[in-house]
Order: sequence, then structure tokens, then C-alpha cells
Amino acid sequence: MVKLPSIHIGKLSLLLAILVWLALLFVDLVRLFGMVNEIDSGISDEITWILEILFFFTLYGFYSYSIGKNIQSDFLNLLWRGASTGIFATGVAILIELFYFSLGDSKLGSEPFLKNFFYHVNFALTTIFLISSALLWKHLILYQKSKQVVKQWQAFEFAMLVAMFFVFFNKNNFDYSFFFGMVILLVISAVLSGNLKWIPYLTFKEKWKSLLFLFLILICLGYLFRRFMAYSEAETYQVNLTDNLFLMALFGFIFIYAIFSFLVTLFNLPTSSVFEQKLTEAINFQRLSQSIQPGENEEQVLDILLDSCMSASYSDAAWIEINSEEQKIGTNQLRFLDEAAKEELSELIKNQKAATDWASSDQPETLQSLTLRLSHARFESIMLVPLVINKTAIGRMVLCKEVRDGFNKEMVNIVTTFVRQACIAVENHRLLNQAIQNERYQEELKIAQRVQKALLPTKLDHPDSFSICAFSKAADEVGGDYYDTYQLDENRYVLIIGDVSGKGTSAAFHMSQMKGIFQSLIQLNLSPAQFMIKANSALSKCLGKNHFITASIFLINIAEKKICHSRAGHIPTLFYQAGTSKSEFMLFDGLGLGILRNKQYENHVQEKTFSFETGDLLVLITDGIVEAKNQKGQQFGFERIRSLVEIHHDKSPAEIQNQLIDSLHLFVGGDRMIDDDYSMMVVKFN
Amino acid sequence: MLRLEKSTENQSEILSLFGEVDASNSVILDEAIQDLVEGGAQSIIVDGTQLDYISSAGLGVFMSYLEDFNDKGITMKICGLSPKVYEVFKILGLDQLIPIYQDRASAAAK
Repeated sequence: MVKLPSIHIGKLSLLLAILVWLALLFVDLVRLFGMVNEIDSGISDEITWILEILFFFTLYGFYSYSIGKNIQSDFLNLLWRGASTGIFATGVAILIELFYFSLGDSKLGSEPFLKNFFYHVNFALTTIFLISSALLWKHLILYQKSKQVVKQWQAFEFAMLVAMFFVFFNKNNFDYSFFFGMVILLVISAVLSGNLKWIPYLTFKEKWKSLLFLFLILICLGYLFRRFMAYSEAETYQVNLTDNLFLMALFGFIFIYAIFSFLVTLFNLPTSSVFEQKLTEAINFQRLSQSIQPGENEEQVLDILLDSCMSASYSDAAWIEINSEEQKIGTNQLRFLDEAAKEELSELIKNQKAATDWASSDQPETLQSLTLRLSHARFESIMLVPLVINKTAIGRMVLCKEVRDGFNKEMVNIVTTFVRQACIAVENHRLLNQAIQNERYQEELKIAQRVQKALLPTKLDHPDSFSICAFSKAADEVGGDYYDTYQLDENRYVLIIGDVSGKGTSAAFHMSQMKGIFQSLIQLNLSPAQFMIKANSALSKCLGKNHFITASIFLINIAEKKICHSRAGHIPTLFYQAGTSKSEFMLFDGLGLGILRNKQYENHVQEKTFSFETGDLLVLITDGIVEAKNQKGQQFGFERIRSLVEIHHDKSPAEIQNQLIDSLHLFVGGDRMIDDDYSMMVVKFN
Repeated sequence: MLRLEKSTENQSEILSLFGEVDASNSVILDEAIQDLVEGGAQSIIVDGTQLDYISSAGLGVFMSYLEDFNDKGITMKICGLSPKVYEVFKILGLDQLIPIYQDRASAAAK
């Protein structure tokens, strides 16, 4: 396969254009040679016309390609391209004219071949200028195009195409048909020239520059047109190239659009500052609506806000004040006035009833901006704008102007919009920070959860004579339930279960205190009641005012087969006796720890001793199990626990425990959470 | 849900509780009692006839005033508790510290 080199359309069409022009020149010179020597060269006019049309096409191809490639270039660049081409064409034309002027009536001055050559040069350059300008105009006309404009342009291009071939029909005469075609093309040009949407986007300075360029284009156009007219009056050229409807219409089109653009740009000069202002506002708005980037803070947003609002309302001075309870943002941002002047103005504002009413509004989210007149030496009007974040007014912005009634409705609107946007940005920023902080708290809670889990024993002390298992589940990440075991000596073991009032983090802290107290006091070889009294006295000093702990403690002597039990406000423990197959909750007096924080507590704690036999069960629970509710609001209660234990008494502690927990979940309902901490410890004597 | 009603009867401030007292609303109960104390109440009767449930946090509220009331000579009585709620008081041992009565009349009489 032969790979064709990729064709460069721009270069190719330029090359073709030059070739066609040379051919055109050659054909015309040959014809002229024939006429001078009175020989019929046999070259008809049509060949010239065809070559001329080909020249137009190739140029059109070249320029539409080269302008299309630089489509991003701005309007000034486009205008400069047109102007520079025009200046070049005009410059060459002027040089040719000067050349002939200097020759005067010499022989060379009337040499027909040279004249014809220069005529072709002029024709080519002018055509280049016209076609390139027309394509530049196309670019400008189709800026922010609508379907309708595109259709209009296509119609114009089609009419121009027809105009190119018009020469065959008309034979280059200025007859009625020529004028008729000209009028049609000019009307379309005028319609198209209404599309000047690019002008408002020029800045003030750019408008002046474009005026200059348009002026240059118009001058060049005028001069070149005059030259063309001069050529068509002189009858020295056998085949007139320039009295062409296409070229004449192009002249008209470029002239009309240039003059329209020139005038519109000129009259737009005074309003360009307004347009620039609107554009700045749009950019400011965008800056404000971008959420606060990491590393930036709210102060920077307020900075942008203040600057944007000042420029939007042409304020002479301004400040932002933040309510004292809002310490997150640095207060008092002042612009173009000092602290003393600010105090002065604040005092004046305070004296106005409208302002005090405004400030004391109890619905900040519906609060509107307020404009006031002031009798101040410098500032005569001010505008108060509330800064409302999350439905609370965090402060206000005050804009000051030296003229009376300086704030119009548009300014109030745009400033209000700016403020709203800035407040949303600040609000989002705060929410994001909050989310990050929450994330951190969650992380901390997870750590707390791990730490707390480590507080519960993984291995429960017990001899072969009884088996034991335990379980605890917190309603939140951490909870207030506690259980533990301790081996006093070979025959004596201690079990404890406890429950801190309330739940969550505060309960978890107290639970860890309880662990510390148990592990220290139990080593003192205290009786259960003595333990409770000491524990109460210790906890009295560390529990919060309305917190208490309930606990049950069991001292098991496996040698004597006796259990000594004391209860401090805790849920009674279920004791199942295998001998009678009966169970009971052991309820007797015993006040919770931390309720009575004095010596009196001793009177409220008791001790019970009882014997156990093989097959007996102890089921220690916390109130989370008893008080767990089902959908109907019924509590799990003591009776369900009792009957479940009686049914499953012959199973191992772990199996009994699982039975109880499964039944509990079933009772509460599959998906529902038990909203309190719940724990249990099951002991079975072998 | 917890609803509170206050009334005065024979120099006693009656605080009637409706619904449930748990960790989320025990603060409301605390504030109500605080208000009564600040209002100079010398005798407070808490009517728990319509009280369905009280959690340990709710009990903590009553507990926290025991010492304070002792010092100031304010009497607090509880009356009309349902068996289930009374059981909670009893298990914790609060029945030994706060006089609990069958109904409002017997509470006021003593």
C-alpha cells in the first residue's frame, strides 16, 4: 500500500491560488499580445472569468482554513488581521500609483504589458483583502450564533456564489440586472450586520483599539474602491476583472459591517464600564460561590465579600462586624475608614429607629438589607446587610457612601446576593469542619470502645467445681455495665456485676472507676457488706451528683459450698436450685452505691449467706435485660427469665446464656435495638 | 415522652408525671424540681400515677436532691406508683430514703 502524504489544505489552496493567478495573468497577457500584434489569440473572455472564479474559490479555501485554525484568537486580533491586510493591499496600490506618477508620460508609462501586470497585482491583493475581511466578518457575525443567523449567513454565501457566476450572464455590463443583484446582496449584508454581539465583550481600552482598526479598514476600503473605479473608467484593459458583481458586493458588505461596528463600538464606549462591572460581579460571585478551600478560612471569604460588595455598590467605605459571641471569625474588617469614624457611624446608626428595629428582629433569616440616610460629616448614606448563617445573624456588613441616597435597587440586590452566597460558603465550611470533627469523635469513641472492652475480663476466674460465662453489650459505643471475677484463695472466689446509672460515655467513665474500686478493695479480704460500704464511701467522692452505681457481689466458698451475697440496689439475681427445680430472684434491702454519701449507708446494706448444691444456677443480670421492651411496649420482665432458666437448667452456662439472649432479641423484635446496656453472667455448680 | 404538670394542694407542691422518664428527658424532671425548690416549696409530692416507666437516669434525679432536701428541711414524697415502677424504686433501695405512698391523699395526710 502506498501511503498518501496527508494533504495540507491551507498550503495547497494557497499554492493553487498563486497558480491560478499566474494562469490568469498569462492568459490575459497572451490575449493582450495577440491584440497588440493584431493576431487572434483565440482565447475567449470566458477562460479569464473561469480563472477569476477559481481564484476566488482558492482564496476562500485558504482563508476559511487559516482563520478557522485560529478561532480562539480574540476579536482585536481578528480586526488587526483585516486592517493589516488592508494596509498592505493599499500600500502596494499606492506604490504602483506613485510609480506611474513618477514615470509621467514616458514610454514605459504607457507600456500595456506592465500596466496589465500591475492591474493584476492590484486585483489580487484587493481580492485577498476583501475575501479575508469577509471571512473575519463571518467570524464576528457568527459569534454567539443562533440558528437563524447561521441560516442568514448561508443564504448570503449562496447569493455570493451566484454573484460569482453572474459575469457569464451579464458580460460585465453595468445594467439593470447588475444593480438588481447588487441591491439584493447589500440588503442581506445590512441584515447580517445587525449581529454585533462581540462588541460588549470588549473592554474600554479594547474598544478604542477596535475603533482604530475599523477606521483603518474603512480607509483602505475607500482607497481600493477608488482605484477599482479608476480602472474600470480606463478602457485599456481588455477583460475587466474588477467590475464584478461578486467583488462589488464584497466591498459593500465589508463597508456596511465595518461602519455598523464602528458606530456601535463608538456608542458603546460610555456604557462599557457598566458591562465590565457586571462581568466583575459575575466573577466575584463565582469566587464567593466556590466553597472554602482547605487552608483558607472564613475571614478570607468575608474579605472577598467586602471587596466585591464595595465594588458592586461603588461604596466609599465599609466594614464587617461580627457579634461578640461568634468568636470563630476575627471581628472588624475595616475598609477606607478608621476605628474612630466607625464608632461615630455606629453611634449614628444606633440613633435611628429603623436601624434598632432592624437589629432587634427576631427572625434573622427573613431580614432584608436596610438603607439609611445619615447626618454625618463625610458619609450621607449607609446600607446595613445582615450576615445570616444557619438562621442566626452572626453579624452585619455596613457599606457607606458619601452621596445621599447612594444605594439603588440594583445595588441592594447584587449586594444581598453576594452576602447570601458568602454566608452559604461559610455555612458549608462550618458543616464540613463539623463533619471532620464528628469523624474524629467517632474515631475516639472507637478507641474508647476498645479500651472499655479490655476492662471486662476475657478469662473468668473459676475452679472446676463451677463453670461460668458472661456477656455484655452496650447500647452506644461504650456503656456502663460491669462484671468481673476474683480468686481470693484456693477455695474462695468473688463474682461481681454492676450497672452505672444512665448510659454512654459518662457511664463508661464511672464503670472504669468501679473496676478500679473492685480490684483494690477485694484484696482487703472484706465481707460482701463491708465491700459495699467501702465501695460506697469511695464512690461518693468520685460520682457525679445524680449518678449512682448498682452492684451485686457474691463470695463463693467451694469448700463449704456456701455463697455470701450482698446487693447494692442491683437487679436481684436469680438462684435456681436443682433440688427443688425452683428458682427465685433474691431481693432484700440494699441501697445503690453513691445514693447516700455518708455513714448512714451502713444501715442500708445487708448480707445473705446460702448453700448451693450440684446443678444449682446463679444468673446475674443487669436492668437492660429486664426492662427491654417489645413493639407493644411490654418489658421482658423477670418472669420470662425465670421460666427460661427453669426450662434450660440442665444445659451448660454458655447454652443457657445464648438461650436467654436469643429469646431477648426475639422478644424485642429482630431489627430493633435494645436501648440500654445489658449484661449477664451465668454460673453453674458442678 | 414525658409530660409534667404542677399544682398546689394544702401547702404542698404537686408534681404530676405522665409517660416515661429516661436518660433523654430526665433533665426536664430535674429542672422542674429545681424550679419548685427555687420557688420556695417546702413540701413536694411527686404524683406518679400516670408514670409508666422510669430509668436509672430518672432515679438519679430524685437521688441527687436527697441530701439537699435534708439540709434545707424540704420534704419530698412520692405517691401513686404502679407496681412495676415501685419495684424499680424498691430494687434500688430508694423506698428506704423517700417516703412512697399509695395515693396523693395518703401522701398529703402524713
